[in-house]
Amino acid sequence: MANLDVALATISFKRKIAYKSTWFFSVLFGEWSLLAGLAVWNHLIGDGEIGGYDWDAMKAYLIIGFLTGTLAWAGSDWEMAGRILDGMVAIDLTKPVDFQRARAAEYIGGMTASIPSAILGTAAAALLFRPAGPVSPLAAALTAFSLLFIFPLAFGISYLATLACFLTQRFLGIQWAKDSMVAFFSGMMIPVALMPVWLQGVAWALPFVHFTTTPASIYLGRVDTAGALGLIAAEAAWAVGLWVIGRLIWRRLVKKVTVHGG
Amino acid sequence: MPIRHASGVYWRALAAHVRSVIEYPADLWIMATAGAVWNVLQFAFLAVLFANVPHIEGWGFHEMLMLSGLLSIAGGANALCFDGAWNTGSMVIKGDIDYRITRPAPVILQVGSSHIGLQSFGELALGFAMLVYGWIGAGVGMAWIPVGALAIVCAALIQTALVTAFCAVNFWIKSPMSIFAFLLIQLQGGAMKLPLGVFPAAVRVVALFIVPVAFINVVPVAVFTGHMTAWWLVGVPLAAVAAVALAAGVYRLGLRAYDSAGH
Repeated sequence: MANLDVALATISFKRKIAYKSTWFFSVLFGEWSLLAGLAVWNHLIGDGEIGGYDWDAMKAYLIIGFLTGTLAWAGSDWEMAGRILDGMVAIDLTKPVDFQRARAAEYIGGMTASIPSAILGTAAAALLFRPAGPVSPLAAALTAFSLLFIFPLAFGISYLATLACFLTQRFLGIQWAKDSMVAFFSGMMIPVALMPVWLQGVAWALPFVHFTTTPASIYLGRVDTAGALGLIAAEAAWAVGLWVIGRLIWRRLVKKVTVHGG
Repeated sequence: MPIRHASGVYWRALAAHVRSVIEYPADLWIMATAGAVWNVLQFAFLAVLFANVPHIEGWGFHEMLMLSGLLSIAGGANALCFDGAWNTGSMVIKGDIDYRITRPAPVILQVGSSHIGLQSFGELALGFAMLVYGWIGAGVGMAWIPVGALAIVCAALIQTALVTAFCAVNFWIKSPMSIFAFLLIQLQGGAMKLPLGVFPAAVRVVALFIVPVAFINVVPVAVFTGHMTAWWLVGVPLAAVAAVALAAGVYRLGLRAYDSAGH
């Protein structure tokens, strides 16, 4: 079965790198968002600080957001949604392969295709903008480890979003709503530390926060080692939780599939 | 082709979608909620931001709300009236444009009216709410309302035309996903909800004169709130005409390049 997962991931990886223009413009968009973010926050922070972030820390925060955003938005959401919208899911049901597991393999395979551009873009941004360094070598290692959970978390959230396609005719609006939730509650749009306390509570209770705030907090030393390990444990719990929730919702929604002509 | 006939085809196609919407109420509610969600989050972003900073480039909370509101209205109008343009890429790949070419109505109208983006209901409702709340809070006078109405119409036209033109790029790049139009929307979401003064001069020149997205929301709101002189308003209808001409031109060129599927 593991061979099948690898095969599906490889196909998805090759499909992603085959569309070079799409890949190129996605990277360009990520770079543009980073530059726009730097322009805005440079303007706002100046020589002072906001929410405990000075300019060097904010640069590091935004570059980490660029890295996680490039990875998180490189998955195969559209392909997954398309299988449900065009009825391919009816064929999938006849295959001796678990739908969720197969889509996870494809999704993570697609995300893998963005790793080189994410690393190159991050390295270029780090050289160009000179952000604050990690607070310690251990923090750097824990940050890298926490980034690994972006893969299952991105899949889990995207899978739940695409399951809505059992009830809709389009994915576009659903995707924008999902992307907005990730951008806002992850802290990509505005750091969670700037939100009122009650909204910070909401953000920390959702899985999105682990896309930017968790790795950035570990990297910048806003949490100690125990706190970092706690956040990583929360990431792992969400990865499992989203998988289980996806399976439960699938069981209900798959009953909506109607096969005509059978 | 007589405009009356083309417009009749367009409205009948949209009416057919309205009937199908009524058949699938869950779709309507989910999509309308999705449209509302990202506008609520936009409101939340501005509220949080202005709880921490007093102003950005001299712009206050209510003025920035107007920016977001007008952009949402333009996006919602696009999704309501011409969402089918997003189908251009998949129609080109599958050869579905063939059918449209043989029918006696402009292809661009047939494709544009092939779908209604139901998220538009949420976008429009929240967009108007933000615009009106910002308008009152920013103290913009009632005398500006007729100009505001014109700005809304032009914003809808520019947004729709630019998205359609960018979707038409798929006549050449052959991808089911309209990556260019998608990036346009994302870039607008990132930059056009902030005052232009925050960005370097090159970005301002592009947004005003190359891809005139600034005329959708930034220029009208800047004039209403006194950040730009009223002369800039002349550019709003001009940008609308230019954008519509661009969309029609790119689509026409795309149709010439179209060689159906399987070649």
